[in-house]
Amino acid sequence: MEFVQKFITTFQFIVEGLWVTIGVTVVALAVGFVLGILAGVARVYGNKFLAGIGTTYSVVVRAVPVIVIIFILFFVISSLVDLTAFWAGSLALGFASGAYQTEIFRGALRSVSGGQMTAASAIGMSRWQAIRHIILPQALRLALPAWGNEATLVLKDSTLVFAVGVPEVLRRAEYVKARTFDPFFAYSVALLLYLALTLVTTQVLRQAENRYRLRL
Amino acid sequence: MNDFLMFLQDVIPSLLKGTVITLEIAGVSLLLGVVVGLPVGLGRVYGPTWLKRVLGIYTTFFQGTPLLIQLFFVYYGLPAAGITFDRFTAAFLTLGLNSGAYQAEYLRGALQSVSEGQMTAARAIGMSKWQAIRAIILPQALRLVLPAWSNEAISMLKYTAVVYLIAVPDLMGQAKILSSKYFAPIQIYLIVAVFYLVLVGITYFVLRAVEKRAGIPGLTYSPEHGGA
Amino acid sequence: MTNSEAAKTQPIVRLEDIYKAFGVTEVLKGVSLSLMPQEVVVLVGPSGTGKSTLLRCVNLLSRPDKGRIWLEELEITAPGVNEDKVRQRVGMVFQEFNLFTHLTALENVMIGMTKVLKMDKRAAHAKALEELERVGLANRADHYPAQLSGGQKQRVAIARALGMDPHVMLFDEPTSALDPELTGEVLAVMQKLAFEGMTMMVVSHEMGFAREVADRVVFMEGGYIVEAGPPEQMFDHPQVDRTRVSQ
Repeated sequence: MEFVQKFITTFQFIVEGLWVTIGVTVVALAVGFVLGILAGVARVYGNKFLAGIGTTYSVVVRAVPVIVIIFILFFVISSLVDLTAFWAGSLALGFASGAYQTEIFRGALRSVSGGQMTAASAIGMSRWQAIRHIILPQALRLALPAWGNEATLVLKDSTLVFAVGVPEVLRRAEYVKARTFDPFFAYSVALLLYLALTLVTTQVLRQAENRYRLRL
Repeated sequence: MNDFLMFLQDVIPSLLKGTVITLEIAGVSLLLGVVVGLPVGLGRVYGPTWLKRVLGIYTTFFQGTPLLIQLFFVYYGLPAAGITFDRFTAAFLTLGLNSGAYQAEYLRGALQSVSEGQMTAARAIGMSKWQAIRAIILPQALRLVLPAWSNEAISMLKYTAVVYLIAVPDLMGQAKILSSKYFAPIQIYLIVAVFYLVLVGITYFVLRAVEKRAGIPGLTYSPEHGGA
Repeated sequence: MTNSEAAKTQPIVRLEDIYKAFGVTEVLKGVSLSLMPQEVVVLVGPSGTGKSTLLRCVNLLSRPDKGRIWLEELEITAPGVNEDKVRQRVGMVFQEFNLFTHLTALENVMIGMTKVLKMDKRAAHAKALEELERVGLANRADHYPAQLSGGQKQRVAIARALGMDPHVMLFDEPTSALDPELTGEVLAVMQKLAFEGMTMMVVSHEMGFAREVADRVVFMEGGYIVEAGPPEQMFDHPQVDRTRVSQ
């Protein structure tokens, strides 16, 4: 009975961090999505200059550990603007994710057949119109499986913002550990919470994939 | 400029020491990952149902939770249950088991992508199931898995950075010490980023060369000519 | 009767009342057939009538649900028979070639000798070259399967089977996956084998080959053997209407 009681209190305390974890993940994915689309389009359809920027961003950021990116940006952002740890950490994680998403969208954009652009031009669309209305809608759907994979990776990487003091699941588990002196219990609960979260996310993403799969 | 060079001169020796530790942890963990991932991947494809299920739980668990929490669980959590590791062992063990789960899944995919006819033909010349797996299926699967494995190696090299959180003095651990010593976190972490960039770059090109050498026409790339 | 005469009259393969079903689909419904030494039997008939399944029973790639099979003096359907040992004595050639993708032509022929027969590498190398020579591909020894044409792949597959010194060769539609212009080279190799005295069981739609090379043509339909006999009788004076139609 004591065990159950302990489990419930620990769980209730750590689960608060779950909302922070989800918040960090959603913000980071959204930021990464915007950066990824921009850099992806720049790499595939941009001029030399834009493509160069997109390539440098994606290659350099992907060669550096996410936690190092988080530290650098966290300190840069904090020295420029007054943001909470949550926002600074999420933006930094988003910047890192953007580099990975760049590759995902680049691959998807390239796999849309060349005939689509030709056909769009033939009905009088400009290059950018064609990208926006014809190419991107197809590429986004093609990108969905890889993007879903990236989403679960970001979900797991969101725990790295622990290092800059964001009160997500792991940070909450640390609090429990400090109070109860039972690290085994605290981390077990954190692991189980995460496992549940990733399994649910994977299921949701799988359903989204089935729903939006492009039938070519 | 001169100041910056002096600064570099001060920090680089510690960072190099950290680099050695980073490489050591990545190397040992990857190796442990191979040792675990190979039998687990084989078991996931060719084992009896109960084994497949047990191994599936292992891979789901390690792939479904963050490496950092796994690390904390092993280093800080397990001692409460009477199991204690020093920081290096905890790092090797956690990263190795984590990598093993990913490597097993990559290998599983590769094994399953070898066509059924290969097994049938091997059995038809009198090979036992395990002989066929060893001589025919595995050599093909290992070549097919190489690109995914390269990604895993690079990914592991980067993920070693979390071990500084259990006070292992790796590249990131040294950076942490230096940044509080010099009050210059941004500069220090930028230099560290360059270190990782170089490490990852070298690893990438070495692995690409290995992939090229191990390649076989028709298996890992399409042949240049389709026969006479 | 002398010993050698006795050996002559003992069938290489004897199938007795073979039944086989996949789920609810009965594929073989009591098939009996014997192959004498040096005999070439060609199984013909519409697709999906159990010819390939019957062939695969001979080397136990498929296990009959009922019925018994002898390979020379050994009843291979008896419990406890080592199926790997059985397969060493039975060569098989597949419709899809199934060459080992990661091995060169030579290595494809060698691997059974070294791994299964435990021959030493050098002897296996020499013998493998001989087998490739036999199918006219010694000059392609170092090519990977992907670098060979379909006909060449199938000839390497025949060499691979021959390398094991089989007592009987099974051919499962060996030319069906080939472009028409490539079937000739494979059929020529098979004809040469037959001429050399190899015992062969062939599933094929090549009626020309059946007429020229077969000692006996077996017509199967619906899981039964409908008619069997020498090619002249089968093609020129069929007892069953279907046999004529299929020509």
